[in-house]
Amino acid sequence: MTKDKILQAPDMNVSAEERAAGGRKSISKEQVTKYLPYITLFSLVALISLYDPAFLKLENLLQTAQDISTLFIMALGMTFVIYIAGIDLSSQSVASMTTVIVALLLPSFGIGAALAAVIIGAVFGMASGLVHTRFKIASFIATLAVGGIAYATGQVVSGQRSTYMPADLREQSMGWMVGNTAGIPHEIFVALALLLIALFIERRTVFGRSLKAVGSGELAAVASGLKVTKIKVMTFALSGAFAAMAGVMLATRLSGGSPTMADQFLLPAIVAVLVGGTPLTGGVGGVLNTLIGALIVAVIRTSMTYLEVPAEAQQIFFGVVLIAAIALTIDRSKVKVVK
Amino acid sequence: MSKVLSKEFLQRWAPLIVLFSLCIIVSIINPNFLSVRNFARLATSSAAPLMLAIGVTFIIIMGSIDLSMEGVMAFCGASLAVVMLQFNSFVEWGFLAIPVAIVFGVAIGFVNGLIHVKLKIPSFLVSLGIGFSCIGLTMVMTGGVRVSASDKAFRLLLTERFFGFPLMVYVAFAALLLAYFIQKKTALGRNLYAIGGGEELAHASGVKVERVRIIAFALAGAFYALGAMFAVAQIGSVASNLGTGFMFVSITSVVVGGTALMGGIGGVWQTLVGVLIVAVISNGMVLVGLPTYIQEGVLGVLVILAVALATNRKAIQLVK
Repeated sequence: MTKDKILQAPDMNVSAEERAAGGRKSISKEQVTKYLPYITLFSLVALISLYDPAFLKLENLLQTAQDISTLFIMALGMTFVIYIAGIDLSSQSVASMTTVIVALLLPSFGIGAALAAVIIGAVFGMASGLVHTRFKIASFIATLAVGGIAYATGQVVSGQRSTYMPADLREQSMGWMVGNTAGIPHEIFVALALLLIALFIERRTVFGRSLKAVGSGELAAVASGLKVTKIKVMTFALSGAFAAMAGVMLATRLSGGSPTMADQFLLPAIVAVLVGGTPLTGGVGGVLNTLIGALIVAVIRTSMTYLEVPAEAQQIFFGVVLIAAIALTIDRSKVKVVK
Repeated sequence: MSKVLSKEFLQRWAPLIVLFSLCIIVSIINPNFLSVRNFARLATSSAAPLMLAIGVTFIIIMGSIDLSMEGVMAFCGASLAVVMLQFNSFVEWGFLAIPVAIVFGVAIGFVNGLIHVKLKIPSFLVSLGIGFSCIGLTMVMTGGVRVSASDKAFRLLLTERFFGFPLMVYVAFAALLLAYFIQKKTALGRNLYAIGGGEELAHASGVKVERVRIIAFALAGAFYALGAMFAVAQIGSVASNLGTGFMFVSITSVVVGGTALMGGIGGVWQTLVGVLIVAVISNGMVLVGLPTYIQEGVLGVLVILAVALATNRKAIQLVK
């Protein structure tokens, strides 16, 4: 390919409108923000595979995807809440609690235990939503408080001990979640199935469309007759249910539950949503963005392991990434007073 | 009659009434509650949470929030212990560890405030990120092992008793008075209330909002460092989980005491009452024979009740 051709190519795709507006320098800030997550992901992958080409081995990529799926499921639920400009700080406590519940119920209910756990997670999420909307308490405080209740519930139910799943029962009821088919770990299938469900909810249901309205401008949504309170409660319930699913998968992978099992999940889950491109101010982004975000988190984690950064120090980094991601994505025209 | 029991009256005095009723209930169930020994235990266990709660009170008065205390506490506590180990003893220059820890607390708070103000990021997320980072920093500093802080002179804070109460209780009380002085008698204190009452108004009347916010976060960091000092003196060693649970306890204490999350109302004395309510509840749970690990759940319910009672819902259009 000659140099001329490369230079010519963009011109052919530029619309009349853009040409009129001055043509070539048409990359707006919005476009950059929109593609930033993809650019970040690809640059990270490029960097790490330059450092160690073994990273690109299929086996290794699958391993990375498998390891992130639990976190990704939690982040999916979190996406809905952030999409309506709220936040859910109870996710990790709810997930921890459900690891205990599912491990305890497995012997009596089999796969029903997972269903029960998800329903309980949804109930806790709903409680957050109700406290948030009925009492008009900011969502981070409401979810922090409900998270405390979930945490204590996990402690009480487990008697402060780790609970184990009997191997045969686990294999029988939950085995399908952790096996391998054609070399692909089942966690990836489960995560993708849940992504499709979440995507369907977001794009193809009335509920999903109204989330966009609430996230873009809550007062306008109220004025145009949407039942915002109900939508919000449902959103938090959905987040609780996804957190519980993450808990179920975690418990299955580790063959047991403990009331502190998901303790390290909250920060990376929020980071995944934000670096994916769903800003804290809501209204844009969505679950597909969170897929990219979760992959970014996964690649960062893997590369830090390559660079032999100790697990503890990774936390420093995620704290910084969190702040950077918010700073880059937040829509400042929406917030008059930052508290 | 209806005037006496007006909503304002209730909001003002409810925390104290709750505190006294709790004391009465617990002492009826277990008379040991009323012993000097138990009061000393209550006061000792309240010293560290009180410092953290006072720190975050300043932030909440402005209508913001700080969720970094667990990390800041761990980091300050660990630097306290590490610096102390560099010297032969606490008396021979080891005491320098205390100002070092406080400076670290101030510095972290300063960064917290700076990012929050300059990048216009909501304080709860900045502080959440900073807090997590600090726990990581602590782990790197300590190498993941428990650092001992068993210097006898340092631990006089716990072991030296006057009238049955350990030294740290008096130091905590002095810090409370200092906080009250800042709140009541300094321009900073008054500006905090002005910002909490209405930021745009405060700005319009000449308050340097950004500067006040940053200073408030730095001030809160200093109090977190003091809280770390008491906690370290109490335990005699530091690990990166030094602060675990303190975030919840301190925020609960502040809102239960009657400082509104919306800002502008409340203060450090209310926080003292809140800390004592939480302390009596957890102390009472032990005396009554309930497991302590349900405490977090009880606190969760308490937060919701307190915030729900204190919020004037008619005045709020939008809550996120």
